[in-house]
Amino acid sequence: MQEELLDIICCPLDKQDLELDVAEREDGDIVAGTLTCSECGEAYPIEDGIPNLLPPDMREDAPA
Amino acid sequence: MKGQEWYQADEIAEAYEDKRFSGGGRLIDRREKRAVLEAIGPVEDKRVLEIACGTGRFTVMLAERGADVVGLDISTPMLQQGREKARAAGVDEHLQFFRGDAGRLPFPDDHFDAVLAMRFFHLADTPVAYLEEMRRVSKDIVFFDTFNRFSARSIYNWALPMGSRLYSRWEVNSLLDEADLELVGANHDFIVPYGFYRAIPDGLASAFRSVDRAVSAIPGGDRLSSVSYWECRV
Repeated sequence: MQEELLDIICCPLDKQDLELDVAEREDGDIVAGTLTCSECGEAYPIEDGIPNLLPPDMREDAPA
Repeated sequence: MKGQEWYQADEIAEAYEDKRFSGGGRLIDRREKRAVLEAIGPVEDKRVLEIACGTGRFTVMLAERGADVVGLDISTPMLQQGREKARAAGVDEHLQFFRGDAGRLPFPDDHFDAVLAMRFFHLADTPVAYLEEMRRVSKDIVFFDTFNRFSARSIYNWALPMGSRLYSRWEVNSLLDEADLELVGANHDFIVPYGFYRAIPDGLASAFRSVDRAVSAIPGGDRLSSVSYWECRV
């Protein structure tokens, strides 16, 4: 994910801004990290360069 | 949402394009790409979002034509295929992929010039909710296709692995009303359904396609179409 993309994405739940925390970069691209909602505090992982903005109830680890 | 688990498997994602768009399927691929370009093109410098972008068939094409494209899908394996394709085409600077839910899009209101969803609504359990979300993030165009009731699609539909929701024209019109979208163009095609084109040998596929188009061109002939393309404005 490119850092500029922060301008176009928001929290899927309350549409507020996301804050980026980079864990790993590769040639300027963010391959691992976390996006955290500035309002509700929900955290969204960046996995293999793809931000996972699925709401928490739709993630694999969500209780069925 | 149908397909939610189905498309998560690596082997399904890797085989997706070969299975659907090789051989006679190429005709389908070409027709769908034309439908997209006619509805939203020219796309240069436009912001485009595709819902359920899968392996990036349309997103890569749009990025190659100069659009700034975002592809959203629920499946990581499908998105990984898309990323590889974008890199191979040299458009990865203009094409970004996200994993997300079509019902709760992670984008602000009115952000995109065009929002499209191809082969999505036949899997949708709550179509109005998805249309409303597409409308929210688009400031101009919303484009999607449906598989039709009262067509040959009904005949083989039961055999599909996850079933498929079919729509009548009346149903689509009432969905658009509910989602407050204005229909500006509709095209109807494929009296012979997709599954048939994939099943027959290449040479025969183009012959059938000619007959298919000829029948569609007869007044009222398109009533039998299995696929419809709907171009709407916000």
